Amino acid sequence: MAPLLTVENVTKEFSGIVANKDVNFEINEGEIVSLIGPNGAGKTTMFSMIAGALSPSSGSIVFNGEEISKKQAFEICHLGIARTFQVVRVLKQMTVLENVIVGALSRTNSVKIARGEAENILKVTGLYLKKDYLGKNLTLADMKRLEVAKALATKPKLLLLDEVMAGLTPVETNEAVELLREIHGMGITLFIVEHVMEAIMPVSDRIIVLDAGKKIAEGSPEEVVNDERVIKAYLGDRYHARS
Amino acid sequence: MNKKLIFLIVAVLILFFLPLIYKASFFIHVLILIFMFAMASQAWDLVGGYTGQISFGNAIFFGIGAYTSTLLYMHWSVTPWIGMLVGGVVAVIVALIVGYPAFKLKGHYFLLATIGIGEIIRTLFLNWPAVGGAQGIFIPFEKESFWNFQFHSSKLPYYYIILTLFILTFLVSYFVEKSKLGFYFKAIREDEDAAKAMGIHTQKFKFVAFAISAFLTAITGTFYAQYLMYIDPNSVMPFMLSTQIVLVAILGGMGYLFGPLLGSLVLIPLSELTRVLLGSSGSGFHLVIYGLLIMLISMYKPAGLAGWIQEWNFNKKKAAGGEVDGTTINS
Repeated sequence: MAPLLTVENVTKEFSGIVANKDVNFEINEGEIVSLIGPNGAGKTTMFSMIAGALSPSSGSIVFNGEEISKKQAFEICHLGIARTFQVVRVLKQMTVLENVIVGALSRTNSVKIARGEAENILKVTGLYLKKDYLGKNLTLADMKRLEVAKALATKPKLLLLDEVMAGLTPVETNEAVELLREIHGMGITLFIVEHVMEAIMPVSDRIIVLDAGKKIAEGSPEEVVNDERVIKAYLGDRYHARS
Repeated sequence: MNKKLIFLIVAVLILFFLPLIYKASFFIHVLILIFMFAMASQAWDLVGGYTGQISFGNAIFFGIGAYTSTLLYMHWSVTPWIGMLVGGVVAVIVALIVGYPAFKLKGHYFLLATIGIGEIIRTLFLNWPAVGGAQGIFIPFEKESFWNFQFHSSKLPYYYIILTLFILTFLVSYFVEKSKLGFYFKAIREDEDAAKAMGIHTQKFKFVAFAISAFLTAITGTFYAQYLMYIDPNSVMPFMLSTQIVLVAILGGMGYLFGPLLGSLVLIPLSELTRVLLGSSGSGFHLVIYGLLIMLISMYKPAGLAGWIQEWNFNKKKAAGGEVDGTTINS
């Protein structure tokens, strides 16, 4: 079966600075794949290119058999890729419910239907009791949940999660991992950028490691944590010793 | 819900009978201006308040409405009622042309562009003999009739026309707010990139907001031309008019359904009264009071009168110990 997403020789330059260089990887349907790497490795840039917020300088991105590297973000959303933002982009002066309704409206013209779907998603993501809060009045953990809920509402096949656990307490992190499992259980393929290694190691099928814009390793979590280059570039000796 | 509906019906009835009870010409004139500005401002709010694209150039649509209907009437004796609709369509076309470059800009730059475009079009009309240039156009007096859109013996027909037009505009806003459009407009206002990521063709929906707004503003312009029977670029498309449309919405509360009406109810009588009472001193004192009020609102109640009322309602409910969904309140 053809992979759900194929990234081929993708390069992104910002006026001379290379954020991604000849990156290749694939994501299959039903997988949970994580993208890790030190700060500035080009993880968010890669996400932005897949989601259509940026377009690659060269290379191709194929989703579900369709070339998407030149498409705009809203078109890609309709094709079935949704993303969350690393720096949360909650619609601040709208309620939690309204935030999610906006996402749901990408699949229907009826506000009534969208409202029903949004309420279900809020129940799944544990935000239902706060549905009438304004976006700006949420805690960071809840804003990150809302980011996920907004993205889920667009009914994606592939969900890109950009550091949804950064800045969360351990308890909140555990809850977030639970949420990831639940979303995966709905049949959504997950592609995750994360720094909280302990949290994503157990849930990831595969891990891709970027450093300075290039892919330096790819494999199962065990393979990756034992890879010399990865340890040197990112994990550090301490993590290696501990695992 | 029912209570609200009854309140609205009563309010409309009062507005309908008010000028029949109190017939002073000046009073009716102020009422007409109130609803005219409320309408223009309600139309502006679709772009400014809901979609978050602050346009300081809406007077051009007002002017286009006034000029289109007037020129059609002068040259081809087309009734202003049809001219009104044609003016709306012309304004939509201009909005699309103007919007194309302007919507590539964000925030303050969009605002500056709309000022620039507004001034360019006004200057164009000032120096264009075919449309009367700086001298403007006097609309010739005809027999008083609804079809001619001319009433000389009383201002009342004008009042009922603008009241009806305002209510229609209000209903447009109401249905926009409840529909997909309303959600999309607000999402664009809050965060354009996030909106795109949620599947919104932001450029397209900005155009939609601008087009609806331009159409309704042009209709207000036609009304104004028929009311004054004289138009010139400095009265139907000055920057001051654009500003006033914006100020009414800011004072009343941007992005609130009742905002423009509330703003207009306060600002227009104030502006007219201070002009009548103090304007003759020649010192421009009425503008000082006007300016002061706007400063106070922006300092203490940036959400405007509508936001203030919502907050007050919320506090009242809370004090009564009732169930509050007031987490939606601006804090």
